[in-house]
Amino acid sequence: MSKAPALELIDIHKTFTDVEVLKGISLKAYDGDVISILGSSGSGKSTFLRCINLLENPTKGEIIFNGESLKLTSSGRDLAAADMKQLTKMRQQIGFVFQSFNLWPHMTVLQNVMEGPSHVLKRPKHEVMDYAEHLLNKVGIADKKHMYPNQLSGGQQQRVAIARTLAMDPQVILFDEPTSALDPELVGEVLGVMRKLAEEGRTMLIVTHEMSFAKEVSSEVVFLHKGVVEEKGTPDKVFNSPDSERCRTFLSSTY
Amino acid sequence: MDFSVVVEYFPRLLEGAWVSVQLVALSVVLGALVALPIALARISQNWWIKGFPYAYIFFFRGTPLLVQIFLVYYGASQFDVVRESFLWPILREPYWCAIIAFTLNTSAYTAEIFRGAIQAIPEGEVEACKVVGMTKAQMYRRVLLPRAFGIVLPAYGNEIILMLKGSALASTITILDLTGMARTIIARTYTPIEIFLAAGGIYLAISMVIIAIFRQVEKRQNRYLGTVSIKVPDKG
Repeated sequence: MSKAPALELIDIHKTFTDVEVLKGISLKAYDGDVISILGSSGSGKSTFLRCINLLENPTKGEIIFNGESLKLTSSGRDLAAADMKQLTKMRQQIGFVFQSFNLWPHMTVLQNVMEGPSHVLKRPKHEVMDYAEHLLNKVGIADKKHMYPNQLSGGQQQRVAIARTLAMDPQVILFDEPTSALDPELVGEVLGVMRKLAEEGRTMLIVTHEMSFAKEVSSEVVFLHKGVVEEKGTPDKVFNSPDSERCRTFLSSTY
Repeated sequence: MDFSVVVEYFPRLLEGAWVSVQLVALSVVLGALVALPIALARISQNWWIKGFPYAYIFFFRGTPLLVQIFLVYYGASQFDVVRESFLWPILREPYWCAIIAFTLNTSAYTAEIFRGAIQAIPEGEVEACKVVGMTKAQMYRRVLLPRAFGIVLPAYGNEIILMLKGSALASTITILDLTGMARTIIARTYTPIEIFLAAGGIYLAISMVIIAIFRQVEKRQNRYLGTVSIKVPDKG
């Protein structure tokens, strides 16, 4: 591919107090890529994902989105955004789906989905409403639009959270273990929605423990171990003939 | 015991109660307005910004309300600047002195209640604001303050009831609030038990109204919390 990557992370480091969680991770995501990030707990995969939009401030590294490098300035030991405007602008175009959904409980499902486009992007209300209803329909939850998040199951809440993210028309979507907080029988409905998004050609970075899902939808799989990229390649390569011994043991124990 | 005095002086007691209600209502509303910026400044990471609210809250929570009333009522008039200023018509009135002291006092407590509520909002909901690219102002306006409003209600209702009881101190600076009125009547009739019992009963009734109002608002505000309901003690 000769095109510039949509998102590029260069040599991301992160140190918490005295533990170095990320020891220099680089990654490129081109438009339409679906990259799954695997690894045992403590491998730093969630931290890495959270460093991309500065939910966590990296200690070192560079973040380039659409060819534009995010301006960082040192703040204590870590780096922080030097230009809040640039950061919020970037965040508007990078969706993030949390493990624990994090819907706003004082707003209905519909209000949750409309909040970003109508109050952050300031799009006209009726347009936003139509789009929100379309998205809720797409994630199969249109009939619950006037309910509050706490009246929904975990799987339903996560699907609303995905609709809320899609409502911003993000160029890249980051998923941070989107099914890890769900009861096993609810995992399928969320993965189903994500599979649809992958098929639409959306650019996605997914931190997950769902191995067969990762194998099936990814264009690339990255295996993290102790803060470094231990293995990386096509799903076929990583799952069937990994170079790394660690990766082989991990996969044989979980998949 | 002669409860006919209660019947005879009941209208006067109600007059006093009306003054008490005014004192509480005005100082609670003004106090909340003062408390909000103080609470927001108190949350700041920056020492320059959080230093003032810290000292303010420390002073008003750490000294007796009675001392604060005396400081405003007797203290302010000691200064020529005050007596010559445009504020004198206000500061010379015991009524406004009480309102000023109550407002300052309740704003310190209310600021702490607001701060606690804002900080009690789960971090994940704040992160959800960040990832859609909200600015700090949008985050407060759209999510943090509305959320805090629901969380704050039980503690805030409590603060208003404390304020109602504290308002009895206004009687020490010649205000004829419910307590002041009761004492005036007693000085005339020598029936302390009857009149104070009646006054106590009126305070109880006002408290019950405040509790009932807050229970309704809470029910409405927190309906989205589904199964969770917050109980207010039914002591009145």
